[in-house]
Amino acid sequence: MLKDFLVLAGQSIMHRRMRSWLTVIGVFIGITAVVALISIGLGLERTITDQVASVFGVDTFIIMNEDAFGPQAHGPGGAEEYALDLATLRAVEGVKVAAAVRERTAFLRGPPRSDGTPLQGFFPVSGLSPELITEFESFTGELEVQKGGRLFDVGEEAVTVLGSEIANRFQASVGDTVLVAGEGSAELSLTVVGILIPVEEDEGSRGGFAAAMNQGQNQDTIYVPYETMDLLWGPAKDVLITVVRVNPGEDVDEVADRAEEILNARGSEISAVTYTDINEVIGTMTSTISAFLAGIAGISLLVGGVGVMNTMFTSVLERTKEIGVMKAVGAKNGHVLTIFLIESGLMGLVGGIVGTLLGLGLSAVASSVIGRLFGVEMAVVASPTLILSTLVCSFVIGAIAGLWPAWRAAQLPVVDALRYE
Amino acid sequence: MPLLEFKGITKDYRLGKTVVRALRGLDLEIEEGEVIAIMGPSGSGKSTLMHIVGALDTPTDGTAFLDGQDLQQLKEHQLVTLRGKKIGFVFQTFNLIQTLSAQRNVELPMIFQGIRKGERARRARELLIKVGLGDRVKHKPNELSGGERQRVAMARALANDPEIILADEPTGNLDTESGTPILEMLKKLSVNDGKTVIIVTHDPDAAAIADRIVRLRDGCVVAVNSCGVEGESGVPTTGRDVEGSINEPSTLGTTTEGGDSHA
Repeated sequence: MLKDFLVLAGQSIMHRRMRSWLTVIGVFIGITAVVALISIGLGLERTITDQVASVFGVDTFIIMNEDAFGPQAHGPGGAEEYALDLATLRAVEGVKVAAAVRERTAFLRGPPRSDGTPLQGFFPVSGLSPELITEFESFTGELEVQKGGRLFDVGEEAVTVLGSEIANRFQASVGDTVLVAGEGSAELSLTVVGILIPVEEDEGSRGGFAAAMNQGQNQDTIYVPYETMDLLWGPAKDVLITVVRVNPGEDVDEVADRAEEILNARGSEISAVTYTDINEVIGTMTSTISAFLAGIAGISLLVGGVGVMNTMFTSVLERTKEIGVMKAVGAKNGHVLTIFLIESGLMGLVGGIVGTLLGLGLSAVASSVIGRLFGVEMAVVASPTLILSTLVCSFVIGAIAGLWPAWRAAQLPVVDALRYE
Repeated sequence: MPLLEFKGITKDYRLGKTVVRALRGLDLEIEEGEVIAIMGPSGSGKSTLMHIVGALDTPTDGTAFLDGQDLQQLKEHQLVTLRGKKIGFVFQTFNLIQTLSAQRNVELPMIFQGIRKGERARRARELLIKVGLGDRVKHKPNELSGGERQRVAMARALANDPEIILADEPTGNLDTESGTPILEMLKKLSVNDGKTVIIVTHDPDAAAIADRIVRLRDGCVVAVNSCGVEGESGVPTTGRDVEGSINEPSTLGTTTEGGDSHA
């Protein structure tokens, strides 16, 4: 019977072709806007998470100050220093390799310059675990040193790599020594093993930690092995970031939670942030933005729904006599209600189909434009869930908009309806 | 037992604060297989009576039995089922659904009775052949002449094989040439198929096929099958068939009563 009602409703829609199409246009404009915005939002999310995944890897987590990430975060990510016992972290079950960065400003004395006097003063000193360079190249990017130099290896202590700017000011070259004054009477003479190649600002877009180091502002820093920092200043209270890779087959979230618990129990105040956590934050952000935009677009959908309602009221009025005839020949109120609901639902559904296709097309165009503007490969997402839920939603919107008119039609007294001219 | 038995039927309509009494204690019995013509001037209650006979409306007071069922005891959905199965309607203005083909129009009552597609289509075609429209099944109403439209309506009325055919001015919108076959068809339904045919009409030719003529005035039956009584009302009678087919004057009491109330 439902199939027959579907045919009856379809024939009625086709009979009023012009009006039906105009009504459908009202619906699909709204659907197009909603689908396009949600789709662009999903594409944006996918693009960002893909980039995070390519840098991060799914077996890696980072450790940040607990204030720097998550719901309580109040500062820019990574800006807050924290205390960390790298040895304890490395001993946590499931951790394969851990590398950290700590930073200080220290008194330095360079090698004698051309006039025989060394340059001395306070300069930033950055301690890097050599593993950061050897194990996390995808994370750090490739550090490049000038010809004749090298980066330091695991186990080395009294060595340094200079930023190009500070190397110029010290007039230092590979093989020279730089004196670093640590806490109390601690001081070390470090042998320069390499000098970084300066990178033009616009080349920084290839991303990564290394790119940031190679850029101008970091070229006045001297880089030393992380363990050397321990020798100069003792246990780390000034760690900026730690990168950890877990053993193959380990659940990265589990290991991260374990590490966080153990370290915080030893007096650190840190958050272990996994790929999942970052995706969650990105997801929350993009969905909030998407929902907001889709909400605005939803207003036009509402207008489309009112259009359907208007059309259906007109249709009920026009077909009053027809309703009377149907009831006279045995249609129950429920039958009339169903026929009209299917009719309005169909208009919603057709609007939904056209709107979804247009919306996906629009989002593909928008993604390519955005991609070109910002120089990224924007993912185009045609989520089956989005498509299916849009179609169901458009049918429901049509049916809801038709509910009142259909109810009115069903309640028409048959005698009055038959008499209607 | 009569197929239709109405006793003391009244029907009131409320128009704002005024109550209009369309039927005033009407008595009527109709036997199975009869052809009955209901005649009367405008406002005499013909349409109201037809609505009640057709289970489209219920009386305000009185008892109305259709095939032994008390119409006043039936709920709306039971009335719908009753008219869907037992009554076939033919209207003056045909009232076909313009968007549907002749065949689909005939199928419509069967759709609401939940009859399967194949059976429905077969029966609809059979009925259309029976009314002489075997070559018009796919035509839409606006592609058919008035007479053809009314024949489609006849086929539709027969779709669920009802016991009663209720025709409201079936020839009102037709010329004699296309009206006569319709009347012949209605008569045959009674004679050959034993259907009860009730025709509400102004048309003396339509009344001429009736076994009995029920005359209404001011909401009462004023005469059954008598040609002379209504002389002053200006309603013409044919004089044919009618006189010979007087059954029992069971409603004559109402005539007097009606006459009194009218006076």
